[in-house]
Amino acid sequence: MSGAGTIRHLFTPLRLGPVTVPNRIVFSAHLTNYAEGGMPTDQHAAYYAARAAGGAGLVITEEHSTHRTDWPYEKLIHGFHPAVVPGYRRITDAVHAHGVPIFAQLNHNGGQASSMYSRLPVWAPSPVPDPLFREVPKAVDEAEIADVIAGYATVAEHCRAGGFDGVELQCSHSSIVRGFLSPATNQRTDRYGGPLTNRARLLLEIVDAVRSVLGEDLALGVRLCGDELIEGGTTIDDAVAVARMVAATGKVDYLNTSIGVATATLFMIEASMQVPPGYALFVPSALRAAVDLPVVGVGRFKDPLQADRAIDEGVCDLVGVVRGQIADPDFGAKARAGQATDIRTCLSCNQECVGRMGLNRWLGCIENPLTGREAVPLPPPRGRRRVVVVGGGPGGLQAAVTAAERGHDVVLFERQWRLGGQVQLAASVPSRAELLDLVRNLAASARRLGVDVRTGVEATADLVLGAQPDAIVLATGSRPLRPWWAGDEQRVVDVRDVLEGRAEPHGTVVVVDELGFHQATSVAELLADRGCRVEVVTPGMVVGQDLGLTLDLETWTMKAHRKGIRESTDLVPMGVAPTDGAASSGSTDGGASSGSTDGAVVLTLQHHPTGTDEHRRCDWVVVAVHPQVDDELWRALRHCGQPVHRVGDCLAPRRAHAAVVEGHRVAVSL
Amino acid sequence: MGSLVEPVAVAGWTAPSRVVFGPHVTNLATGRALGPRHVAYYRERAVGGAGVVVTETASVHPSDWPYERAPLASACTPGWEAVAEACRPFGTLVLASLGHSGAQGSSAYGQEALWAPSPVADAVSRELPRAMEDEDVIALVAGFADATRRAVTAGLGGVEVDIGPRSLLRQFHSGLTNHRADAYGADRLRLTREVLAAVRAELGAAGVLAIRLCADELAPWAGVTPEQARDHVVALAPLVDLVTVVRGGPFTTSAERPDAHTPPVFNRTLCAELRGAISGTTLVALQGSVVDPADAQRALDDGTADLVEMTRAQIADPCLVRLVRAGTPERVRPCIRCNQACQVRDPRNPLVSCVGEPRSGYETTEPPVPPVVPVPSVVPHPTGTPQPQTSAARPPTVVVVGGGVAGLECARVLAHAGRRVRLLERATTVGGMAARVAVGPGRTPLDALAAWLEAECRSLGVTIETGVDVTVADLDRALAAREPVVLATGSRPGPPPVADAAGVVFVDAPSALSDGASSLPDGPVVVHDPIGGPIGVAMAEWLAGEGRAVSLVTPDPVAGTLLSATGDLADANARLQRAGVRRELRARLRDAKPGTAVVEHVWTGERHEVPCAVIVDCGSRLPEETLAAARPDLPRAGDCVAPRTVLEAVLEGRRRALEVVAGEVPAR
Repeated sequence: MSGAGTIRHLFTPLRLGPVTVPNRIVFSAHLTNYAEGGMPTDQHAAYYAARAAGGAGLVITEEHSTHRTDWPYEKLIHGFHPAVVPGYRRITDAVHAHGVPIFAQLNHNGGQASSMYSRLPVWAPSPVPDPLFREVPKAVDEAEIADVIAGYATVAEHCRAGGFDGVELQCSHSSIVRGFLSPATNQRTDRYGGPLTNRARLLLEIVDAVRSVLGEDLALGVRLCGDELIEGGTTIDDAVAVARMVAATGKVDYLNTSIGVATATLFMIEASMQVPPGYALFVPSALRAAVDLPVVGVGRFKDPLQADRAIDEGVCDLVGVVRGQIADPDFGAKARAGQATDIRTCLSCNQECVGRMGLNRWLGCIENPLTGREAVPLPPPRGRRRVVVVGGGPGGLQAAVTAAERGHDVVLFERQWRLGGQVQLAASVPSRAELLDLVRNLAASARRLGVDVRTGVEATADLVLGAQPDAIVLATGSRPLRPWWAGDEQRVVDVRDVLEGRAEPHGTVVVVDELGFHQATSVAELLADRGCRVEVVTPGMVVGQDLGLTLDLETWTMKAHRKGIRESTDLVPMGVAPTDGAASSGSTDGGASSGSTDGAVVLTLQHHPTGTDEHRRCDWVVVAVHPQVDDELWRALRHCGQPVHRVGDCLAPRRAHAAVVEGHRVAVSL
Repeated sequence: MGSLVEPVAVAGWTAPSRVVFGPHVTNLATGRALGPRHVAYYRERAVGGAGVVVTETASVHPSDWPYERAPLASACTPGWEAVAEACRPFGTLVLASLGHSGAQGSSAYGQEALWAPSPVADAVSRELPRAMEDEDVIALVAGFADATRRAVTAGLGGVEVDIGPRSLLRQFHSGLTNHRADAYGADRLRLTREVLAAVRAELGAAGVLAIRLCADELAPWAGVTPEQARDHVVALAPLVDLVTVVRGGPFTTSAERPDAHTPPVFNRTLCAELRGAISGTTLVALQGSVVDPADAQRALDDGTADLVEMTRAQIADPCLVRLVRAGTPERVRPCIRCNQACQVRDPRNPLVSCVGEPRSGYETTEPPVPPVVPVPSVVPHPTGTPQPQTSAARPPTVVVVGGGVAGLECARVLAHAGRRVRLLERATTVGGMAARVAVGPGRTPLDALAAWLEAECRSLGVTIETGVDVTVADLDRALAAREPVVLATGSRPGPPPVADAAGVVFVDAPSALSDGASSLPDGPVVVHDPIGGPIGVAMAEWLAGEGRAVSLVTPDPVAGTLLSATGDLADANARLQRAGVRRELRARLRDAKPGTAVVEHVWTGERHEVPCAVIVDCGSRLPEETLAAARPDLPRAGDCVAPRTVLEAVLEGRRRALEVVAGEVPAR
């Protein structure tokens, strides 16, 4: 993707004021939900240490709250509490053990919060409710502003005592400082509102206060938003002007960058694979041109060559690689050792990292079962065993990889000629292609670890037992299950039938979404691209509801609108019948059908809130419904005398991450 | 039938009253153990006279981790011991609720496949569970037995086995979820019988074995129906000592404790029928929005039930039984069934609480309101000789400006502490916003809290002066007399949602509700709801009910998105659609001209016109801070700090009062 080339800049050291970073790869600040009772934990230490050990040049921790009025989510580090210092020390010692500097991010989320946890009014420049939390904040007065500033100084002091090498002020996507900077949320008429010099006053006063606490030997950074992507919000020109003011203080050592507002345009901050890599690089580029400070660029850096090129092109001085190092803590080390192709590339699927943050759950990774569990030691392997894995989807592959890593002798049988199982299908839709890295990464690991991978082999009980296994892991997946209402109507097909080419719907197509994830939306997009007129119906309240968790719902909706895909909710399929052969008029009224009308059907849908029936004349119905387990082999082997484990869909058909964690867990237990 | 507040024998135990504090999610656990906050929470209800306390449902097997702070029985022994010890002085019968959520659990925490009778995806999570194998069934039964042993060892009176709307055992009972071909499918009660036998073996005859039995899944096409439940209760009642009748299933988990859109005591008929089916041979408890002690007593008197579960009522007022026993049921703080703070099965882990009693769930951190201190006529002299109190020695009167719930709660607490209070209200009645917005279907009960606060204030001797427009000069006069002043002046409308809309009529939500639909111009109404809370939905429903054509404009993919917290989200959207309300989803108001409003899709930017004679704005409001701006050092409470909900208003009103009582420099 970045073409051939060698890394030229990524591993050159750089001075950030008093601190020299050994390379340009930054594990930038991001939420983890690892805090407990407002305190940092051993999991924090182990998590950051793993990235330091793996080659990050700089670790910037997640935010530390600077004030008791700031508690927007449960597992926030209460940096203002003096009891944090011992935990800070454990984190910094763990990271320093690998020779890597670590900064703490300081923040007050301002109005981008609720009073649910603090039971105190939320503080902000003006009584403008946040678009996500929707709680009217209290407009702070001057005494409260002084209190906010003092809070930053207090936490900076705690960070200093806790061994951090510097601090970063988050002024970018969820912050009271952002609130003051942005004309969208700052409606004040005093010296903190109005022109940009006034709106930046809080930031500059915080810089003063924090620098005076830090002294000369700790670094201070400021993270700025280059475009809030909201109406009336901060734009790149404002950001450049603020960067100049910050640089002019002479008290700041570097700038970090960001795009979007966490509570309004999060889908552009932690962009999924729907958004092209490098989409946010205009921000560091503009800042770097304006000020003489090192600038960190962010935004879907997936591989080291891409990162190196950004530096080469003068876009930025350092690159924030967050999800890339969540997926593979050894991102930097592998790049440096010339093994960039061994990096377990991030998919930007957002399923277990971003997708769990909003749900108050610990941060994980679809590809890396150890993410979020760094502090939990694995039991030592119990000697070398002969392990037979059946099924080369993510569950089987992960089981094979983990087993091989733990010294076992592993053979894997896959029925298809290609590995990957359903991930191959999901990734066959163009906008989901990056998902295929899950398979590529696992297959490469399996190869590297010497797993005996045999594709195109239908594993029978005899074949499995003939391999003389000490343990058997079945990852045989699932099969489409025809919904009860479909009867034997040939024009009702499963998403898999379409993606595997067994069915080629044309004309007017109704996609039934009972899964609420990518299955229905992906196939709808694919068919619309092929010229079909597509409507997605769901018994739920929202089509593709869980795309909201992965920040794909916004981009899907925009694409669907562009492609003329209709969405209808609260509809339960009740039956389907052939038409009498009349021309298909389809669900979208008027206009000629773009395909054949032979074999058109009428789909009956019940609008469950009102109990009324609706009918759709269409050429095809594509269903995204729950499959059934494919567990014939398990039934044949379960009493064979050897331990037989099921992982993934053959246990219960779910999403890829379930298969990966189960494959890993079973392999660890062998 | 006995009195609600008199003792009742349950198996080998005696409960001090017939009022049950039922099991519910609290998020008070420490990890997965019942913690000190639980102990304080349950103790408060025991002090208040609860006859039976059923602790938060504990999972009997590690395969069940339905929410992050869900208790796990194997971690609960010390917590149960502490709860038993805390409640023992009050004679309360404490039972441990034991359960397993099955397919209605979550795999997010344990990261393992969910257990279920059959591979049927849960209607809410859409996640497919795995069908339990024989060894899983054995482990489940053993888990119930082990958990029971722990509960008994901890000194509890017994256990309640969960067969309610979120339980694996109910999933076995139901044709919706049990498609098994084995013995557990042929006899769908078989697993429950095995569990009850194993539990009984641990309890012995003296221990209380209760069940929480779903008697209507509200899905008659395949779910448990009241007719089936009749057979179920006949089969199961002989095995147990107490049956609590509940309803709700995979599509209707919130039907167990619904908000005020469902009438109170909705299970009366169901409960009476089931009790009739077993001819009173086993004790039966009525559950389901029983919040009025009179309703509860009636259910005992007419043979509906032997005990009454009043869970939310005791979240709202832990002293319910004591106050009824004292012959003062009107002193019980009402539960208004708003569900805004007590329904906490929410991944954010909010602690259980109550808008009217924000100390609930926070017993270990929020100070108690002092018991009523009569204004003394004499004070003890330092020498020990009682002296007539002089007016100079009495603490000065406190002036509370604003008679909404913040001001009323402030005045009430001050009066409790023996302070004289003048409550000044601009309008002709007190109650403020909480009373004004109590209009429309499911909304009228909401004014009961304000009415109770007013009644309490009056009986405590607070001087309530209405129709008083307080000026800065008035404040200064009070301050000059060294009278503490608290501002609770409420809110004012926010800016119109569309600027430069000449000729367009805008009405703010409280005005529309209090002035009536006829006050609005004729023609179609656009309800602007950027918040997604209860107000916008209620407004649209009410106006549709008044015969208006209504469009509800929301930025979200569904209407009333914040109602997921109260359990009303799905119902609210269904009601809106049935009422013919046009839901403009993912939309913002962009422009308006006479007769038409323009809405824009929040992501695609697509625009279209909506017929519109008037825009009713349900958006956020601004603090009314004229007085606060003039005297910024005065303490403030509620909407005049920042317009929020009843909970914040009550909490801040109380805090300001306690600060005045303590003589602290009041928070600004």
